[in-house]
Amino acid sequence: MTLVKTLGFVQALVLICGAASIAQESAPMDADAAMAEATTVAAAESESRDKFRALDKDVQSLKKEVLDLNRDLFLLEEELLFPANSQVAFFISMDVGEYFKLDSVSLKVDGKEVANYLYTDREVDALLRGGVHRVHMANLKTGEHELIAIFTGQGPHTRDYRRGATVQIDKGIGAKYLELEITDRVKKQQPEFEIREWE
Amino acid sequence: MKIRKMLTGLALTVVAASSLASSGLTGQPAPDFALKSSTGENLRLSEYRGDVVMINFWATWCGPCRQEMPLLDELYTRYERVGFNLLGVNIDDDSSRAMNMIHELGVNFPVLFDARKEVSKLYDVDAMPVTVLIDREGNVRYVHQGYKPGYEEKYLDQVRSLLRE
Repeated sequence: MTLVKTLGFVQALVLICGAASIAQESAPMDADAAMAEATTVAAAESESRDKFRALDKDVQSLKKEVLDLNRDLFLLEEELLFPANSQVAFFISMDVGEYFKLDSVSLKVDGKEVANYLYTDREVDALLRGGVHRVHMANLKTGEHELIAIFTGQGPHTRDYRRGATVQIDKGIGAKYLELEITDRVKKQQPEFEIREWE
Repeated sequence: MKIRKMLTGLALTVVAASSLASSGLTGQPAPDFALKSSTGENLRLSEYRGDVVMINFWATWCGPCRQEMPLLDELYTRYERVGFNLLGVNIDDDSSRAMNMIHELGVNFPVLFDARKEVSKLYDVDAMPVTVLIDREGNVRYVHQGYKPGYEEKYLDQVRSLLRE
């Protein structure tokens, strides 16, 4: 009987020890699972971040492509409307401007008014700071043309001033750029209007 | 029969009113222009970008314009400091008449002279007065053709809402 009891006790002890060892083994298994899960989440997050970055890059490159396309279209349109061979551009510039406050410029090509531009104070200021304004762009056939530029504004002693400048344009093959420059003639204390061609 | 006639009349009135209120320019970028003003300066619309701008086309021979201008001037005086600009565009052939009327009415907003009618053509002005409201982005938001007492309330609401944007 005693032997039976002792055997029963040993059996119980073995069972308890086994259970304890099983419990010990299962605890690290849960931690591993949690860690693995955390790693998966972190990986998924970084993957989504990467995807987002890639998407952002795609959007940026798409935007750039659209801008490039827009620029190309603009240039193409300009080339179509104003082919380089017949293109003539007229620019206004000002130097010093002490004897003349520009109000407006009117351009006539072969007797026909092609541009009439009123300058605001800000625009005059921009010209005085060295800005150049493209006042008109046109298509002209090859050959002789007459350009008349009429400048109005205030001359010395704030008197109303109106002056014209005429030039013969010899339009050859290729684009032509003409600059209408307003300068001061210090000796005469008068403004001077010059038309010159850009080489 | 009478009811049908009344309904037809009502429908026609609604159509006429909506066609007056809407314009092909609404929602479009406001065409740019530069004109000489009553102070002798040249003013260009695009230089007011960032402000709410009201353009009021008027003529000395237009009765409603005479009624409307002092009310617009009040609006201008009230909201000028918060980014509201009013440009009166006179379409008379002779600007001296317009100058006389400005002095007579005592209005302070800048008046521009469109004797060549180029700007009126740009804005499809086919009634008098015509009032155009432009938002800070330079887009036409409201176009009002003609003037009736009470329109100034509408202008006030629209100017305030555009200033808030």
